Amino acid sequence: MNAIEIERLWVKYGNMEVLKGIDLEIPKNICFAIMGPSGCGKSTLLKAINRLLELNPDTKISGDIRLFGESVFKMDVTKVRREIGMVFQLPNPFPHMSIYDNIAFAAKCNKIAKNKKELDELVIWTLKKAALYDEVKDRLKSKASQLSGGQMQRLCIARALALKPKVLLMDEPTANLDPIAAGKIEELIHELKREYTIIIVTHSPAQAARIADLVAFIYLGKVVEVGEVNEVFERPKHELTEKYVTGRMG
Amino acid sequence: MVRELKNKLFILYLLASAVLILLPLAHILYSVFAYGLPVLIDRGLEFLTSALPAPNRPGGGIFPALFGTFLMVSLSSLFGVPLAILAGTFIAEYPKSVISNLARTLMLIMLEFPTILVGLFVMIILVIPMGTFSALAGSIALAIVMLPYVTTYTEQAMRSVPENFKEGAYALGLRKFRVVFSVTMKMAKRGILTGLLIGTAKVAGETAPLIFTAGITWRTTGGINEPTGAIPIWIYYLIQQPYANYHEIAWGAALILMLIFLAIFLPVRLMMVRT
Amino acid sequence: MDRFKIFLLPPVYLAFGILFLMLITFVLNSLPIFEREGIAIYTTNIWKASEEPENEFYGILAAIYGTIYTSIIAIVIALPVSIGLAIFVIDIAPKKFRELLVILTDMMAGLPTIIYGIWGVFILSQIISKIMIFLYENFSIFPLFSYRNPTGFSFLTAGILLAIMVTPFATALIREAYAAIPQIYKEAAHSLALTRYEVTKLLLGYIKPAIVAGTLLAFGRAVGETVAVSLVVGNSFNIHPSFFAPGYTISSLIANQFGNAFAYTYMPYALFAAGLALFFIGLIVNIAGVIVLRRWKYG
Repeated sequence: MNAIEIERLWVKYGNMEVLKGIDLEIPKNICFAIMGPSGCGKSTLLKAINRLLELNPDTKISGDIRLFGESVFKMDVTKVRREIGMVFQLPNPFPHMSIYDNIAFAAKCNKIAKNKKELDELVIWTLKKAALYDEVKDRLKSKASQLSGGQMQRLCIARALALKPKVLLMDEPTANLDPIAAGKIEELIHELKREYTIIIVTHSPAQAARIADLVAFIYLGKVVEVGEVNEVFERPKHELTEKYVTGRMG
Repeated sequence: MVRELKNKLFILYLLASAVLILLPLAHILYSVFAYGLPVLIDRGLEFLTSALPAPNRPGGGIFPALFGTFLMVSLSSLFGVPLAILAGTFIAEYPKSVISNLARTLMLIMLEFPTILVGLFVMIILVIPMGTFSALAGSIALAIVMLPYVTTYTEQAMRSVPENFKEGAYALGLRKFRVVFSVTMKMAKRGILTGLLIGTAKVAGETAPLIFTAGITWRTTGGINEPTGAIPIWIYYLIQQPYANYHEIAWGAALILMLIFLAIFLPVRLMMVRT
Repeated sequence: MDRFKIFLLPPVYLAFGILFLMLITFVLNSLPIFEREGIAIYTTNIWKASEEPENEFYGILAAIYGTIYTSIIAIVIALPVSIGLAIFVIDIAPKKFRELLVILTDMMAGLPTIIYGIWGVFILSQIISKIMIFLYENFSIFPLFSYRNPTGFSFLTAGILLAIMVTPFATALIREAYAAIPQIYKEAAHSLALTRYEVTKLLLGYIKPAIVAGTLLAFGRAVGETVAVSLVVGNSFNIHPSFFAPGYTISSLIANQFGNAFAYTYMPYALFAAGLALFFIGLIVNIAGVIVLRRWKYG
């Protein structure tokens, strides 16, 4: 069964149509890249999947998105967001909270851990999974605002993992990081895709080539091409894809 | 289950908060109209042109109070506004100086300072030497109350003028004095005016600073060296009298005061919305 | 230093000068009573006026008690309501009503306090009086309700009136801070499967300094309010735990007693000493509030 199925998804902000009928099938335990020029709706597509678009009351959505066969619009929205975690473009750990609390707060509210001991273990587990534990193990109670950009992003990944999701949405997670920090995140994604389904929006064909298995190319709110990464980059079927991949379109 | 319950209770708390504060506020506005409007309608224009009647006699009005309020608000603006604009200009144009930082903090602290203390202070330095309550003393007390408002608005307005206008003026060889007064201040005009109006609205409604400075007068208009009435002071004393007609006059005066306040505050506030 | 700066400095110095002159005035005019009574002016509850100066003795403890009591009542009510209203305006109210509610609250924050006073005297105190009579008759075993007061002029009335007066001010501060929380944190919080209540709890933690500053500044305002309080607090030298008891606050004491103070030798000085106490309470609370706000904005 596919992890995510998107069927005839239309999204309108007020009068502006951002997504015009998206159909996608995303299998599980792979890394699926979504690419395309700026402003074509990639972030919107991602935020539709975990129903984050609903934060803005002017948004109109039609069509369906299914998580392992079940429509996310029929599920309780907190359940959707437990199963589908998100990492944002600008690392956004809560700066007024400690590293520990950043991870623990939502885990506690969602009852992922049942007591203090389980919570401690969960925090350590997620930090190790996010390859951050060694760097922060002595200062779990210090404020998250004191971390570097790359560390903050890994903390955000740990925070998302704490809810034990099945799918991870990543919106250009390395766009604001230096190359070394970006590299660490890409290594992480390689590891994580064995257990989670990762859907990543990326601006860089090179990055997609490095970490993705499948890639979809979106242009002006529609899917132009979908396929295995090697196929799409070496033998693009569509003229627009070729232009983008070879850098003639941004 | 508990989680969902907490969430629902929370929404209830938000609604309750809104109701709990909006209801009394609406009732205050309603009461002033409900009790004050009949008084105005009943006595008509006479209410604004005549002086306080004898207890339990019909008729009469609040003219001395109206006169006093306008006199003292105007005088206080005369004293306070130029001072505040200059001080605000200094803080805006030399933001890094130690004096600026202290002055800015000073103004923020003075914004909510107990105004009765200002009244007492002016009493000591002016009323006692002069030997009398006076509109002058009242105006100075009001000017001190107005100062922090006009200063902070002026400072903010001057600081928000885009740098490139100022740079352009300097590039033309103008000296700082010219740039500030001919360019920056003109562009900050709106903000400064807002501050001035807000300060005026505030002092028109102040009672405590006037108790020991302006004194009170019921039948005469008073003067610069004489005790003078003002609408808030009149209301304060009339409420404490036992006569029903004085209470009515108090409500009528309260309505007039509220209308004056709204007449200044609403246009200013709505002007701020459009920006 | 350029000439322009020199030209602008005198107005600034004048502003400082006013504050310092005020402080000096209050200190100098309190000295006679300190010399005479020492600290007793603040620690005793006595108000003995007399034609003979030797027999005068004043202690404003009741007023200090009343100031703190009524301001605490005000804050205890105002704080949760201010926060609730702020969140309501930003998160719940339909967009069209938002601006209206904001203008309404700003207007009430600036409304002349005497208007609150007249409403307090003729309307609020009547309502509270009926409630007080009912509660006294049925629940007077509780110390908070144990004072018989048919007039409705009391600590409670003053406290409630103050709460109504400082809420618009506090809620504006908190509301602006809450609205300014960067969208990225709101999105992150929602993406973590949190209920509205949990998201709000998290975001309120982000603006905690604004809430603290709002509380301090609101307390400062409550402490300094004169006319509205003096009309409803009852104006009597009373230290009593009950809500329903009438009492004094420092500001209402000054407003009330200064009229006849000059008939006596030491009373004016006693009232200046009261003013000095208010000066410092107001100064400390306002400075604390401004510092908290400053440190948060630039931290």
